[in-house]
Amino acid sequence: MAGLVKNWLQIVPWEAVVSINGALCEARKALHKPTSDGYAPAKELWERNRSRKLSLPEVFQIGFQCHRLAPFCNYNGNTFVTIVRTLLNDVLKGLPADKAHILRSIAGHIVAGTATDIERKQLDSILAALEK
Amino acid sequence: MTMAENKFLKEAIKQGLRMQHRFLAEPVLARTGKGYMKSEGVATLQRIKASLKKSRST
Repeated sequence: MAGLVKNWLQIVPWEAVVSINGALCEARKALHKPTSDGYAPAKELWERNRSRKLSLPEVFQIGFQCHRLAPFCNYNGNTFVTIVRTLLNDVLKGLPADKAHILRSIAGHIVAGTATDIERKQLDSILAALEK
Repeated sequence: MTMAENKFLKEAIKQGLRMQHRFLAEPVLARTGKGYMKSEGVATLQRIKASLKKSRST
């Protein structure tokens, strides 16, 4: 499928990342504040990759790295999982519902850092099928 | 932000709030080094598969 390698992050400026985290924190009355050690490197990583053409595994990896850098005090996981899952919406429209569900789920698990080896293999086979 | 960026932002916030119950408000100080995302379980996938099976048989 054409379009799997593209400027995935172009549509998500860093200020949108901050707004998403702000909204998620506000909903649960959690502190929304940048961290002193993680904010700058995560922002730099994000902005550096915004103009790059990326494959889906690269997008998942950047989401995972940003999550791990923890730019915010709370809900780093949900912030980056949500971004990656929303980015996938257009790709998922071309998949059967069950495959779309699995891909969305695996993407979330990779970004959250909870993906298993089986899921990574499943991801490879789904992406290979998509590229045909 | 452009219109497309704004549209994405709204969609992402909606999606994030929908799945927020699966995450913990984990303060950075308490980071354990392992991610946390509560399993969604297999119910949703089973429902999707059942509905696909039903639509194929009709």
